[in-house]
Amino acid sequence: MPNNATAQTNSIMHPRYGCTVGAAYTVAAIPGAIPIVHCGPGCVDKQFFILSGCNGYQGSGYAGGGATPSSNIGENEVVFGGANKLDKLINSGVKIMNGSLYVVLSGCSSALVGDDAESVVRKYRSDGKPVVYVDAPGFKGSNLVGHELTVRAIIDRHVGAYSGRKRKGLINLWAEVPYFNTNWRGDTIELKRILEGAGFSVNVLFGPEAGGVEEWENIPKAQANVLISPWVGLDIVKHLADKYRQPWLHVPVIPIGEEATTKFIRDIVAFTGIDSKKSEMFIKKEASQYYYFLEHFADFFSEYWFGLPSSFAVVGDSAYNAAISKFVADQVGLIPAKHIITDNPPKKYRESIRKIYMELSEDVSADVDFIEDGYLIEKKIRETHFGAGVPLIFGTSWERDIAKELGAILLEISTPVMEEIVINRTYIGYKGALTLLENIYTNTVNGF
Amino acid sequence: MAKTKAKTLRQIAIYGKGGIGKSTTTQNLTAGLAEHGKNVMVVGCDPKADSTRLILGGLAQRTVLDTLRDEGEDIDLTRIMKKGYLNIRCVESGGPEPGVGCAGRGIITAIDLLERLGAYTRDLDYVFYDVLGDVVCGGFAMPIREGKAKEIYIVASGEMMALYAANNIAKGIRRYANQGGVRLGGIICNSRNVDRENELLEAFSKELGTQLIHFIPRDNVVQHAEINRKTVIDYKPGSKQAEAYRALAKRIEENKKFVIPEPMTPERLEEILVEYGLFDGIEDYAI
Repeated sequence: MPNNATAQTNSIMHPRYGCTVGAAYTVAAIPGAIPIVHCGPGCVDKQFFILSGCNGYQGSGYAGGGATPSSNIGENEVVFGGANKLDKLINSGVKIMNGSLYVVLSGCSSALVGDDAESVVRKYRSDGKPVVYVDAPGFKGSNLVGHELTVRAIIDRHVGAYSGRKRKGLINLWAEVPYFNTNWRGDTIELKRILEGAGFSVNVLFGPEAGGVEEWENIPKAQANVLISPWVGLDIVKHLADKYRQPWLHVPVIPIGEEATTKFIRDIVAFTGIDSKKSEMFIKKEASQYYYFLEHFADFFSEYWFGLPSSFAVVGDSAYNAAISKFVADQVGLIPAKHIITDNPPKKYRESIRKIYMELSEDVSADVDFIEDGYLIEKKIRETHFGAGVPLIFGTSWERDIAKELGAILLEISTPVMEEIVINRTYIGYKGALTLLENIYTNTVNGF
Repeated sequence: MAKTKAKTLRQIAIYGKGGIGKSTTTQNLTAGLAEHGKNVMVVGCDPKADSTRLILGGLAQRTVLDTLRDEGEDIDLTRIMKKGYLNIRCVESGGPEPGVGCAGRGIITAIDLLERLGAYTRDLDYVFYDVLGDVVCGGFAMPIREGKAKEIYIVASGEMMALYAANNIAKGIRRYANQGGVRLGGIICNSRNVDRENELLEAFSKELGTQLIHFIPRDNVVQHAEINRKTVIDYKPGSKQAEAYRALAKRIEENKKFVIPEPMTPERLEEILVEYGLFDGIEDYAI
């Protein structure tokens, strides 16, 4: 079988992302923002299942799950147009749901019949209501595409123009995609802790520590944008550079562990030019604590001989795939055996993603496959040579079967995650790296 | 008790360029069939809902989709089907207001509902679908999908755009012909009195692999009948034009030639137009 995405069949077994309208969960992740969806019954509910319900059981929050206002387009709306129903829905939604921003996402059916949903939303905006429209039909692409469209729509249609001063030391953080990246909440908290510890003020924008819609309105005031992702969000930071003259720093690999996180801090400090005294003090304290624990962990790591894994495979979205691959190859010292990226990155970004795997560690490189179909993924994993040790697979719940077949250890790190509960877990930064090590080796010793 | 032999229902779709005279032709030809004792239903597949006006004596019809929207699916067939001239049953699918919704889906919805309400009774000899304009999307192809119309007639004239549209429709028919059993029964010329129209339509039909099933001459009586909300057969039964429609009805009744059309390339179509489209060179006209 050829080693590229063109080998993929035209059917996909085991879905690993939602559709464009899944960006309802980008909205739901902003405190005080309410998604309103203009699509068929079940559309947004399916997004809830893939992005939250079957992804660490993250829950629905105030405006997600069954609470999301939906026009539930039926045959009448398809034949006669759904604008009137959307109008009624927005009218009621704004009254019933307590929000400071309402984001209307229109799905496939309304796009196919050509509903002029934007003009319905415009009426509310003219009346001074904070309502934003996003054209988000599922056929535009995945929820990652929807995420970018939605962020841009909020910036363009709600935050608007700004020509005032920038605040030195204030940065906008663009990192994981809410709900889709299973650990996004814990990871965002850890990133905020790190950046604040280093002396920055941070607009985190999503999750429990975000400052709500008001924080979004402060986006233009930031000195710079920091994007931590291989490709999702590149369109956003490029747009912000044009719109608000904000420079952006691209960190393609989410930092895990002391080395990567310390480098990450120093890169941002150098990029923004803030005083490094505070950041160096923070690094010293964090590194000291990190290595205290690592030293104690080393006893287990060096003495426990009974079949620790030596090779690993990663199956998941590009952000977590690259981050885990880098950390486990570079810091834990395991051999990278197979890396399969499942979130269908645009072709223009694939070479730069491949490059990450060419430089996993000193003299350590790996090839990467872009495959979405579970059948082919299982086949690839089955054909992978894991050496004499027990195989270690970082993947999704879909890899449970192949892991069982190979007697492998499976850690679920990407959508969907159905056999792990995720509350505020983080696998990144200083603290998350230790949790990741705990989970890898808890699973290892559990297996004997 | 003697068993009555079950009739074979012929379902026929009429396509053609907008404004070419599909509705006028369909209603007049169904009037001709009804005169011969045939049980006929006409299903107008056009949001304008004007496909049955001449048979019903005006726009008296409540459309399927308006009824569905206002009253839901739990309705009686008589709410949406009216009988007109010689008991021809008339249904109008209707559709959304211009510029909103999806008229194509509306046709699918309307025909589905007609089936569920039992409109396709065993005593029917013919169902005619009068479909608007071009086959622009899947919805407008609904009448020729599997289980619906098996025969298609395209109304055309000697005007260039009418032939372009007819050729394009033939492409749609070919697609569905390969998937199901639909066949082209012929081209009906609704004359616009252009040069060498009969020859041009004969050549065009031959090139498509079909026949010019009938040539309907242009006559002002059609206009008079329309103003009086009648078919020509009803309005002036003794006129030559009424005879022309009766002849068309007879030819369709007796038609045995059903083909998968061979649509032309635009270049070939242009060649035919050049070859047959004009009596004289342009230099012969006083401009």
